[in-house]
Amino acid sequence: MSDAVLVIGGGIAGIQASLDLADMGKHVYLVEKSPSIGGRMAQLDKTFPTNDCSICILAPKMADCYDHSNTTILTYSEVKEITGSAGDFTVTVLKKARYVDAKKCTGCGECTEKCPAKAPDLFNMGLGTRKAAYLYFLQAVPRVALIDQEYCIRMTKGLTKDGKPRCGVCKDVCQAGAIDFDQQDEEITLNVGAIIIATGFDPYDPTSLTEYGYRRYKNVVTAMEYERLICASGPTGGHLKRLSADDRDPKTIAFIQCVGSRDLHHNKYCASVCCMHSTKEAILANEHDPEIHSYIFYIDIRASGKGFQDYVARAKKEYNVTYIRSRVAEIAQDAGENPVIWYEDTNSRQVKSMTVDLVVLATCMVPRTDAVGLAAITHTALDEYKFFQTSPLAPVDTTIPGIFACGYCQGPMDIPESVAQASAAAARAAEIVS
Amino acid sequence: MSLEDIIQETKTFYCLDCGKCTGLCPVSRYNPAYSPRVMLENALFGFQDDLTYNHDLFSCLTCYACSSKCPGDVDYPLFIQKARALALDAGQHGDCAHSGTVQSLARLMSNPGVSQNRLEWLSDGLRISTQSDTMFFVGCAPYFEHIFDFDSGAIDAVKASLKILNHCGIEPVVLPNERCCGHDMLWTGDVETFRRLAEHNAAIIKEAGVKKIIFSCPEGYRTFKEDYPKYVDIDCELQHISEFLADRIAENGLDFSEVKRKVTYHDPCRLGRHLGIYEQPRKVIAALPGIELVEMEHNKEESLCCGTSAFVNCDSCSKQIRVDRLLEAKATGADTLITSCPKCQIHFRCAMTNKGEEKGPDVEIEVMDLVNLVANALGDGHNE
Repeated sequence: MSDAVLVIGGGIAGIQASLDLADMGKHVYLVEKSPSIGGRMAQLDKTFPTNDCSICILAPKMADCYDHSNTTILTYSEVKEITGSAGDFTVTVLKKARYVDAKKCTGCGECTEKCPAKAPDLFNMGLGTRKAAYLYFLQAVPRVALIDQEYCIRMTKGLTKDGKPRCGVCKDVCQAGAIDFDQQDEEITLNVGAIIIATGFDPYDPTSLTEYGYRRYKNVVTAMEYERLICASGPTGGHLKRLSADDRDPKTIAFIQCVGSRDLHHNKYCASVCCMHSTKEAILANEHDPEIHSYIFYIDIRASGKGFQDYVARAKKEYNVTYIRSRVAEIAQDAGENPVIWYEDTNSRQVKSMTVDLVVLATCMVPRTDAVGLAAITHTALDEYKFFQTSPLAPVDTTIPGIFACGYCQGPMDIPESVAQASAAAARAAEIVS
Repeated sequence: MSLEDIIQETKTFYCLDCGKCTGLCPVSRYNPAYSPRVMLENALFGFQDDLTYNHDLFSCLTCYACSSKCPGDVDYPLFIQKARALALDAGQHGDCAHSGTVQSLARLMSNPGVSQNRLEWLSDGLRISTQSDTMFFVGCAPYFEHIFDFDSGAIDAVKASLKILNHCGIEPVVLPNERCCGHDMLWTGDVETFRRLAEHNAAIIKEAGVKKIIFSCPEGYRTFKEDYPKYVDIDCELQHISEFLADRIAENGLDFSEVKRKVTYHDPCRLGRHLGIYEQPRKVIAALPGIELVEMEHNKEESLCCGTSAFVNCDSCSKQIRVDRLLEAKATGADTLITSCPKCQIHFRCAMTNKGEEKGPDVEIEVMDLVNLVANALGDGHNE
């Protein structure tokens, strides 16, 4: 028997569940795949319907979670195997080598500054580059650098003719002596009484909706890319720009709803948050530049949460946002790399085209690609969309006793709902380990 | 079949009323009165007369641009096909192009007593046999050759196909009493004529005892593959010549002479969105040494229709669609527009004659069937 709990996924749901349990006096192992906790919420600029700065309300929770005496945070780590049953699970975790000694690193950023190798910046959705020696993002927790072995010159290029490594700048400049090229992946065995799955979502790749020209046209971006583009810590420092070489500030933005959701060819379900996040993104655009006029192309506006309908009304009234009832048919591009939207205005029953500066695709959100692997490891069932299966009167219980699921990994929901579920999952887990 | 049955069969009730179909429809771009979404809306409300007496019911190109992207996966072209049968019962048949000649010929051919001089074009050392396991389905090309007052290119494509098959060591069966496949009859609602044509073709093919049928016309191919099984039994392997060629090229390669052309490829709706064949014609083109293939803005799944289907409701809107497509082809800088369908070729060639206009837009581009391109590269320059 163990009175500890394993939480898989360090987004807002995993953080909340960990905090609740830690406050109850239970020991929590939080395993996060990426180099920092924070998850998708850390990538958002603001949250609806209050326009709170996302990282500003999340960062204190990240810090509390990390600093709590009852938590062990294992970042850059993955769950490999689980055996046992409720009350007594044995978990094998692979802790990947960061090539940086976490105990010594001060997070000063000197290695990053001097590192000569560049890599795509995944935290910024691949917009822009970062260094091979890097902090996952500005507010990363733990504030420990790591070296990307796929891009590090020393690790990819081999030795010179006279048998010397080709690079080692980071090691030379690190005053804490934290760089350790000999660090190895580690396997850690944990004994826990309950498990909470909180692995969240991936944005759906809209490339297969060829009619929308994503990747073909530079000024067609996804909502997650837009969040980074408008965020002060993003690749443009929060200066909202087009991605075409002209670098122009957009003045008209079209938000396309239901991209890959509510669609029998893609994902049948409604992703539940896109109506609101597009409304928020359109409001933010106008706050950045009052000349910006946004158009939101929708089928139905699903503003069903607290304060949501008011938020939509305010967008229309105060932030120059026009809602057009239509599912956009096709996006073309004119000679100036401006997206041209073709659609039927279903209210006026007319086929129209509209040339805009930027298109934002509200893509569906789908379970993380490794949900299937995790389901196999935990023996839990997934539903037809690969969300963890739960039931209406046990909404955080998976099909295996002692294993719970909260947040977007078990179905479409927004941040407050994910947090509420996280607390519910924490309470259910506590019943087992008490 | 009642309107209710049609709604059930085509899953029209899945319509989200989102307008994606109408936004994608090439006809709706030029004909503001026409909206697939409103057509379905009328059907779902039970306004049958608004459907059957609507002239635009026959304007749909059944090109599948709408349905291939429909979030509700409503089969709109099938809905149209069935609704046209209702309309025909009510005496509505759309405006038949070319004085209704094509439709009349199909109806004449459905009479089993009519004898045709179908193989007149067979010459120039092209070899056929009565013993082969493989049949080549000619389709309506011998008639197209005489209907239009411009060079339709249809019979040349048939000759080129035969040359290719001969070159590959196949002397196919070509039946002298073959009939129209019935495609246009089915898609304009004349199910009875279609059924007669299908039964006739099925009977003579069975009698010929062939095991495989190769088509150069994607409409015939689609009809045999998708529609015949609902009416008759064709126990043969079916293949479009682009699939046949792609297989041959992959198996042992074919010796082609150099083709100094920059080409763009127009996906016929029947071959592309109807049957999902996008890669084989491109593989065939890519196998020709020296050729350069450039894509138009709308290609593969997004390819635009040639503007008319089943030779019905061909109007200024159709012309505009063709002109747009030709302009897209021109914009690629290609010198040749390759297609794989006799009707696409006819429609593009017609648009370039600029009928009814003193000075048409500059849309001149050489239009050629894929089989002619390939046959020309097979050595003796027979079809140059």
